[in-house]
Amino acid sequence: MSTEMLGMILAGGQGTRLGKLTKNTAKPSVPFGGRYRIIDFTLSNLSNSGVNTVGVITQYQPLELNRHVQNGASWGLNERGAGVTILQPYASSEGEKFFEGTAHAIYQNMAYIDSYNPQYVLILSGDHIYKMDYERMLAFHKAKKATLTVAVMPVSMEEATRFGIMNTDDTDRIIAFEEKPEKPKSDLASMGIYIFDWAPLKKYLSDSYATDGKMEDFGKDVIPAYLAHNEPTFAYAFHGYWKDVGTIQSLWEANMEFLSPNNPLNITNRNWRIYSQTEALPPMFFTQTAKVHRSMVTDGSYVAGTVEHSILSQNVKIGAGSIVKDSMIMPNAVIGRNVTIDHAIIGEDAVVGDNGEVIGTPEDIAVVGYGEVVGRKEKA
Amino acid sequence: MRQGEMAAVIDLNEDVHTLLPLTEHRPIGTLPFAGRYRLLDFPLSAITAADIHSVGLFMPESERSVQDHIRSGAAWNLDLIQGGVFLFPYVATRDYNDQTLRDRYYENYTQFLRGSGSKYTVVMGAKNVANVNLTVILDYHKASDLRITTVYKQLTPERIQPDDWTLSLSEQGTANSVIQAKERSGDPEGAAIPSFMDMYVLATSDLIELLEDAAMHQVFRRLPELLRDYVLANNANAFEYTGYLARIDSIPRYYLANMEMLDDASFQSLLLSNVPILTKSKNEVPSFFAKDATVLNSLLGTGTYIEGTVQDSVIFRNVVVHRDATVEHSVIMQGAKISTGSTVQYAILDKGVVIGPNLNIVGTPEKPIVLRKNQTIFRESELEVDADA
Repeated sequence: MSTEMLGMILAGGQGTRLGKLTKNTAKPSVPFGGRYRIIDFTLSNLSNSGVNTVGVITQYQPLELNRHVQNGASWGLNERGAGVTILQPYASSEGEKFFEGTAHAIYQNMAYIDSYNPQYVLILSGDHIYKMDYERMLAFHKAKKATLTVAVMPVSMEEATRFGIMNTDDTDRIIAFEEKPEKPKSDLASMGIYIFDWAPLKKYLSDSYATDGKMEDFGKDVIPAYLAHNEPTFAYAFHGYWKDVGTIQSLWEANMEFLSPNNPLNITNRNWRIYSQTEALPPMFFTQTAKVHRSMVTDGSYVAGTVEHSILSQNVKIGAGSIVKDSMIMPNAVIGRNVTIDHAIIGEDAVVGDNGEVIGTPEDIAVVGYGEVVGRKEKA
Repeated sequence: MRQGEMAAVIDLNEDVHTLLPLTEHRPIGTLPFAGRYRLLDFPLSAITAADIHSVGLFMPESERSVQDHIRSGAAWNLDLIQGGVFLFPYVATRDYNDQTLRDRYYENYTQFLRGSGSKYTVVMGAKNVANVNLTVILDYHKASDLRITTVYKQLTPERIQPDDWTLSLSEQGTANSVIQAKERSGDPEGAAIPSFMDMYVLATSDLIELLEDAAMHQVFRRLPELLRDYVLANNANAFEYTGYLARIDSIPRYYLANMEMLDDASFQSLLLSNVPILTKSKNEVPSFFAKDATVLNSLLGTGTYIEGTVQDSVIFRNVVVHRDATVEHSVIMQGAKISTGSTVQYAILDKGVVIGPNLNIVGTPEKPIVLRKNQTIFRESELEVDADA
């Protein structure tokens, strides 16, 4: 059996900058945009790009993520001879195989990759909101006869200081890589998306772990080693909406951008649909006292209050007299009567009791954690 | 209930002429309902909740609509290693003077029933929309001496039509016949009437015997008639269902049942009680409400885009209501579009209907305007011509 390109999603990180939201769950399974979880974008991109064999590497609090991904059927990835495999750390005769970094996680799962004998391996993060055709990136990789292609996004020069920046020549070949440079020489930021020829990558990783074991991270270790050995390494420029939702602030922003009818992500485009695991819930219900403007609402929700420029996920209840403004409410949250929620993210299964207040500001978004119960005037 | 103890027969050959034009290309079983369901979802959900593993669907004339909804049965967890959904082709218009065709009609049932390995069988249709617990009904059946159990709900006389099937109950609460309401006599003025829900439970072996006996006769009789006669001959247990029931067999009843879903008690009783109602999911995006949208007392599916006003209505997925358009007291099915400045009141718009700008589509509560699938209205005159047709 041979698969041309195998997808590997790095979904094991803790996502500490999401604070309470990732206390008990992995970042890729955090809800987004009303009826999605963050990893749905990557999984849907894979499905839409025709990459149907995918390993999802999990480690930190994987229960909810594993339940969500299952065998990949929700994204049409459950084909015979392909499909989604969840890869978790395991014990072996050589000791425990926990993942120390992005490249190390791939090294620890070499047996899985080899079982498909792929020519190319596509390395992805599970925490980006974007739509991308990986097939086109692979065509670029082949055309350039690269052994490594890095997807890059043009960013502003001010922003460039926060990213890994690729300096390229006029054939798009990467000539230098700088992590968070003070004086960036280019505006091409790495998106953490890589296509490798599997055979050389396997050799680099195996050689490293047979000796010093320094190949832990793609950005810090593997790309510099490729450049040092003069491997044909190219930058593939992506032009489109892309958002890393690694912080409370960026998660809130991405949700608010998602609300805009002009969002370049164009979620309603049926030629590149975003799939998710779906549950059969009753339709949404609006009572005689409901007011809803510039907002998105999802099935199973019940609205008796006012919803202004906000996203309500599945099964959310908003009691009469309550006002929800500039906020993102995650699935199954219950908002009582006469509650004020402003500039906030309300976690799954959270409860905000009658007359409660959860008020943040555009610079400091208030957060109620998963299952948290908040009463009167609580400041999150 | 032990898994596989009961098999289910769903007979989708239900009379559709009173629901035209909504049933032009679909049986009652695939009529859209309550913003996201098809009527068939209710029996299938009851079947799944009761751990029934073998389901025989006896197909109506418009089979395509049913196959498109069912697919593998996965939405109801019926894509099983053993059992699952078995589809039997439409046979009702064939010439049953031919003995081999008659035999085939009965054989379809008996083969399915034997193959199911079940001890009991529930026979149901799709037009009685309810949330039934089949496990409890089976327990009730097992606890009694009678060979067949019927299921009914007590309805006030205003909710009964002359052609409705009802039960004639004895003082002990058993049913001695299934008769139409117009044939009833001796009911006290204003007394509730036991409305029959076209649902039977009996031993699979008894049902097979009934079908095999029928196959020996020269006169062709279909399963519903055979079962009514069986009740008459043997008497039946009568299980009283007390939840929400809608009998969808006419346009006014279809309209009323959808409007009743706006009532909290009916909605909860049907959609949020002991059996979760499952349906095929479409990966639709959330619904979007624009700056000037007004949405009051309404049910909406996903993927809708609302700029105008929606009040007292049931809106299915992917419906678009444009700026300054108003929808009131209406049922708007999947993918319909109401353009700027138009008003739709007391109407049922089938899938894909397009209403042009600045039109008034206004029916009455008793006689809602019904627009057929994919109909496009750009002038009010087009509407009148069609309503008379």
